[in-house]
Amino acid sequence: MKKLLYIYAVGALLFASCTKDFEAINTNPNAPIEVQPSLLLRQVIYDYGEQMSYEGFTAGNPLGQYMTMVDFNLFDRHSLTQPQYGGNPWPVVYKNLRDNELLLNTSRENPAQAVYEGPALIMKAYMAQALTDMYGDVPYFEALQGKSGNVSPVYDSQEDIYLAENGILDNLNRGIEAIENYTGAASLDGDILFNGALAGWLRFANSLKIKALMRISAKQDVSTELQAIVDAGVYIKTNAENATYDFTDNQPNNFRMASLRQGDFNIYVMSATMDQIMDRYVDPRVSVLFRKSANDTYNGLLNGQDASQSSITVSDYSFAGTSFRESTGDLDANFITAWETQFWLAEAALKGYISDNAQTFYESGVELAFEYWMTDLPESYLTLDSAAYGAFGQDPMEQIITQKWIANTINGYEGWIEYNRTGFPKFKTLAASLNNGLIPSRLPYPTDEQALNATNFGAAAANTNGNNVNAKMWWQP
Amino acid sequence: MKPVLLWLSLCLLSMPVFAQITIKGVITDQNKAPIPGVNIIELGTQNGVSTDANGVYSIQVKDQNAMLSFSFIGFYDESVQVGSKTTLNIMLRPNSELLDEVVITALGLERDPKNLGYVIQKLETKQVSEVKSPNFVDNLAGQVAGVTVSQGATGVGSSSKITIRGEASFTNNNPLFVVDGVPINNNSIINYTTDAASGFQEIDFGNGAMEVNPDDIASVSVLKGPAAAALYGTRASNGVILIETKSGATKQGVGVSINSSTFVDRAFKLPEFQNKYGQGNSGEFEYVDGLGGGVNDVISYSYGPQLDAGILVPQYDSPVTMPDGSMVRGGDIYVHGGLPITPTEFVSHPDNLKNFYQTGYTTMNNAAVTSGFDKGDFRLSFTDMRSESIIPGVNLDRQTVSSRLNFRPTSKLKISTSLSYINSASDNRPANGYGSENVNYALVAWGPRSLNINNMKDYWQPGLEGLEQYSFNYTYFDNPYFTLLENRNSFQRDRFFGNVLARYQFTENLSAQARTGMDYSTELRKFSRAYSSNRFQNGAYAEHQVSYRENNTDLLLNYKKLFGDFLIDISAGANRMDQSANNAQTQALSLAQPGVYSLSNSAIPLETIQYTGRKRINSVYGLINLGYKDFLFVDVTGRNDWSSALATPTSAANASFFYPSVSSSFILSNVLDLPSYFSFAKLRASVAQVGNDTDPYQTTGAFVSSAPYASQPTFTDQNFIANANLLPEKTSSIEFGADVRFFKDRLNIDVTYYDAHTQNQIISLPVPISSGYTQQVVNGGLVRSRGVEIMLGVVPVIKGEFQWSSFFNFSRNISTVEEIPAGLDNLTLAYNRVYDNVNQTVWVQVEEGGRIGDLYGTGYKKTDDGKFILDANGNYIVDNDLRKLGNYNPDFMLGWSNNFSWKNWNASMLIDWRQGGVIVSRTQALAGVAGQLIETADRPEAGIVAEGVVNAGTDENPVYETNTKAIPAESYYRQYYDRNHEENNTLDASYVKLRSVSIGYTFRGKAESTGFFGQGRSMQVSLIGRNLFALSHIKHFDPEQLAVQGNQFVSGVEDMSYATSRSMGVKLNLNF
Repeated sequence: MKKLLYIYAVGALLFASCTKDFEAINTNPNAPIEVQPSLLLRQVIYDYGEQMSYEGFTAGNPLGQYMTMVDFNLFDRHSLTQPQYGGNPWPVVYKNLRDNELLLNTSRENPAQAVYEGPALIMKAYMAQALTDMYGDVPYFEALQGKSGNVSPVYDSQEDIYLAENGILDNLNRGIEAIENYTGAASLDGDILFNGALAGWLRFANSLKIKALMRISAKQDVSTELQAIVDAGVYIKTNAENATYDFTDNQPNNFRMASLRQGDFNIYVMSATMDQIMDRYVDPRVSVLFRKSANDTYNGLLNGQDASQSSITVSDYSFAGTSFRESTGDLDANFITAWETQFWLAEAALKGYISDNAQTFYESGVELAFEYWMTDLPESYLTLDSAAYGAFGQDPMEQIITQKWIANTINGYEGWIEYNRTGFPKFKTLAASLNNGLIPSRLPYPTDEQALNATNFGAAAANTNGNNVNAKMWWQP
Repeated sequence: MKPVLLWLSLCLLSMPVFAQITIKGVITDQNKAPIPGVNIIELGTQNGVSTDANGVYSIQVKDQNAMLSFSFIGFYDESVQVGSKTTLNIMLRPNSELLDEVVITALGLERDPKNLGYVIQKLETKQVSEVKSPNFVDNLAGQVAGVTVSQGATGVGSSSKITIRGEASFTNNNPLFVVDGVPINNNSIINYTTDAASGFQEIDFGNGAMEVNPDDIASVSVLKGPAAAALYGTRASNGVILIETKSGATKQGVGVSINSSTFVDRAFKLPEFQNKYGQGNSGEFEYVDGLGGGVNDVISYSYGPQLDAGILVPQYDSPVTMPDGSMVRGGDIYVHGGLPITPTEFVSHPDNLKNFYQTGYTTMNNAAVTSGFDKGDFRLSFTDMRSESIIPGVNLDRQTVSSRLNFRPTSKLKISTSLSYINSASDNRPANGYGSENVNYALVAWGPRSLNINNMKDYWQPGLEGLEQYSFNYTYFDNPYFTLLENRNSFQRDRFFGNVLARYQFTENLSAQARTGMDYSTELRKFSRAYSSNRFQNGAYAEHQVSYRENNTDLLLNYKKLFGDFLIDISAGANRMDQSANNAQTQALSLAQPGVYSLSNSAIPLETIQYTGRKRINSVYGLINLGYKDFLFVDVTGRNDWSSALATPTSAANASFFYPSVSSSFILSNVLDLPSYFSFAKLRASVAQVGNDTDPYQTTGAFVSSAPYASQPTFTDQNFIANANLLPEKTSSIEFGADVRFFKDRLNIDVTYYDAHTQNQIISLPVPISSGYTQQVVNGGLVRSRGVEIMLGVVPVIKGEFQWSSFFNFSRNISTVEEIPAGLDNLTLAYNRVYDNVNQTVWVQVEEGGRIGDLYGTGYKKTDDGKFILDANGNYIVDNDLRKLGNYNPDFMLGWSNNFSWKNWNASMLIDWRQGGVIVSRTQALAGVAGQLIETADRPEAGIVAEGVVNAGTDENPVYETNTKAIPAESYYRQYYDRNHEENNTLDASYVKLRSVSIGYTFRGKAESTGFFGQGRSMQVSLIGRNLFALSHIKHFDPEQLAVQGNQFVSGVEDMSYATSRSMGVKLNLNF
């Protein structure tokens, strides 16, 4: 019986505390529960820039008629629910808005991290604008609250996202204010745009304000605010001040098209739209943006081919330039630049929103854009040829937007968004459109939303003629 | 059956009559083992003898009309009229009621199956080792009612999925595997990948239980329901596969047995192709550089020029004359630099894929030594398994050493060990899924019909060996020989599992046992990619370290006593389980020097993905078994688990959960006076509950490391919302059953009905990313899983030494979703997609009232009565609303095994019928769009008029008229099979399969002989075959399929699978 007692004793010991050490055992050793804000800031900037540059090449470029696809091109034929590459920026933006929101919360909760508040607000405004400009009404004010229990955010109107409290413009103002009021000693780490220089963020914020105000200028009197920014002069003026970061030639920070299969790259060729514009301006940037076809010419193909009914020798057309594959160290992830700001201001001046000279902004924009794309500006470009401001038969508005369009290659969906606002440059009718020959005005909400946020999606779909890609943006004139 | 018996007796009666004769023979049991001491009596006389130690008898009878009766305890009596024969070898059939049969139940307790209030199905050695598969789990297919086995898609070495009684949990339906009382893992750890069309593809390195060695198995018991399994705790809610290994106990002295099986494997089913049109589009094709330099040479559709029409076309294997007069191939583009390619004839290659698959070989050799000695027994066994796959360059080797020792130093103490060491390795495991690392991508989906695959065997461009591969196209496709022979995914795995047990019998009634066991495995996987690989232009190399360890230690006290008519048997015990898993994949995604596969050869910073997981479960449990008068038995069990996975870093308040079970068995035949054709009748019923926990770290949020920028780290929040208040899942079930046997057990029927509710499921609930997250861990949902299992055993013919026995396993399981978490319309459990494309996705979703296994996808617009609605030009109209494609689970399954024996001959056959269920085929979608399949052979000039209607009215008031507009054939096939829409690529997955066959002859050592081939020694030679033949609606592949997505297996999708194999071979078995 002694042995029996012994066994009981051992058993009792073993199970005396049935949950001993459980807290420690179920603490995740792989991943931290909290991280330094610098890790989040670097993550948001890098990941958003990387993913949206890929989106820009694979989906933004065909949609903006920079390039076209020779196959797997239902998206290029404007069946936007059937993309083969890219074409689903929704999760990219929300994921980064989420990490950015955590950064913003930390900066507000912990006074020692207050330096991050301004940049986080500016990034929030930047990404929110990108999102609403692609989709229209989107979940915004109730979004990103999954951890506090709201997993089905309502959709907010584009107007409110731009104009309401905590909207795009408000957050840009708050971000500027937060930076101007910042007196702490802690430096901004993880900033791969401006290397921690808060002055860079102020210029970034004001350039974004110019862009946001101009985008909604058909609906809103924006002249006072624009003039104030121009007068203060704190916005991105040189390429050195650009809100961009560099890709590298090699992984892990190269442009994604560099490491994809050859076919993924060769499926994209120059569009006929781009071909025509390059010809019109006799634009030497064509040799940076594209490479010559097998016939030693730059040659574009009309967007939206029915691949099943065409015999295409792809090498008759121009593939994208080497900076998109072999030497991506030449390429930047672009948030906003000096030339884009200049073109915005050129339009503002042209429309009389500001009192300054449109041509000056335009020419400065063109010069900066050539520099950005590593091309020498031909002497006659701004004086004799079609790009000369207000040249005979040229519409300055078309010139401004077209020059901006050229330089905005792979900058997300910007070229297409601006076409929807201005109608420039003139897009071509697709060879075999799956959208009745119309250029879509918005991306459709993803099916995930239909499946997982059904009620709110339903309301949003009702406002867009059943999630129709031809429904108009609020800011469209 | 009756006419057979009648006919038999008529035959016997009509025999002629002779005087005094001597009859001799051997009496054996069903396994041909001789039975000593059998009583043989000439009926109606006092004349009688009994068999000797070798089962041999000899008796004098008066004439041919004499009736001999053979009887032995534990067996049914047999009576035979002598007739003209002088040798009467008789096989006696065991009487289960009288035989002292035991089954192993939970915790290793040995029980008389008649007393159990739940169903346990037991397979004997022969059923799992006669026609062996390299994956142990495959050997259970078709043999157990309610058990579903699906084999993996990448040939020998791939995982097989097993479920018992269907799927009732949203997240985890894996049964628990237990070897000699201690759990072993059945994990499938897939390498780290992304969904995108870049990086390494998913590789299936097999499931843990595949390594159980059939030659070492004494029996397999399948505990199907919670009542049977509850004592095994949290993992038992999905049933338990209980494996007992062989021990030396049955042999006296030293025995040696040798088992050898050799299979020749051939591709079982290959896609059926069209052979009329070759590569190209719109009838045109020209190879220039395989990158788009020639007309339509960017992508390899087969809508090109006609084959075998005498047309000359420049092709990848057409000659190019170099300036120096030497010849290279068209595809040697870096050698000839764009010189003109001399056109060659465009011809068909109907057998190009068939010739690509080679003849595979699988050998399994096992040698075992057994011995009994005065204080115990032991068995030591060595097994060598080698398999060369039908897929070139793919193999699997496995060596197993196992030993079992039972040692009884005193009459009260027993010490036993069971140890297995397994070393397995493969030089290459082929990639799963859609993408260029799976050769089916280049050979089936996009392998143009003009392609001479044979010419790709020399896969380097001359002078550029190790740098530039040679292939038919360089846009997306790698040369399949290059993929399989250069870009390897190898592994080396060491595994050890076993346990040590000590049992002490304190008194006649009281015993205690302590046991500790471990399952430990460590594995190194290497992924090599050569320069010029499509996904890795500068090559790549990765190492994946996978290790797993589980320890179980348990104590068990048992008290057993008979009080008059009452038997009381009480057990109480406790268990501690510790699990730890460590995975680390380190990758170099660009190599400095080609051909050197080492992490130090990386051209860029290394990337490491690491996971460490720990879990502990403490448990106490008890079992009371009450018996009354040999006819009424009641079991009551209870178990409490404390799982660390339900604790948070600050609290363990939710970690505890308790669950009970009650089961009862009532043996009618021991109480009622049933008609004599009843040989046994029992009713049983049970109610049980089992709790279930979850994976570690679901209770707290965390940040995960992401791609660094400029070597500086980045972190992102994890995409799931953790739940600090997670509760255990609970499955409650009731089960009724009856076991009735007739005609001296010649007809056995066992019927079970069960009804289980699984609630409070721990779900990773998809949430919209607009909430900031993609998943939320919650408790919720209720699944009701009901089913019927029928096991029917029948012995239709016994005639002297001829016996035919037949066994049917029928099961039908329906798992319906009664509730899903509040506020949801549906819930996504899994998906399988082409790359990361959300529109090319098969969704496994459930909604209230739906069934687990419902597949959803998109399609084209249809009328309410199912006709396609076409647009004015005759094209299909995209409809992106998700619709139900079907359910992947079968409506019912029927396994039918047959065993024939006659004298020394033995034959068996297993047929497996799975009725119903659907499967979505990527092979059909892709190879259909690309114009490779036979369905696309018809290409009329005038185009094809799609079957369907056109709406001549308005959307509100449609007027449907039959479509008359033709569209070009190429457009038609591209639309019809388009991978964005799964509906047209959904197929009926029903099949009937001839799963295994064996025909064998046994040579027995002569009685009284003592030589090498003496008494008690035997040799058996069999012809064996597996996966021989199938009837199915599916043209292009084996209907048994399993896909992989991320690290999850997805049923119901065929994702560019490889051909399975048809295996035929020889088995040799020696016992001496």
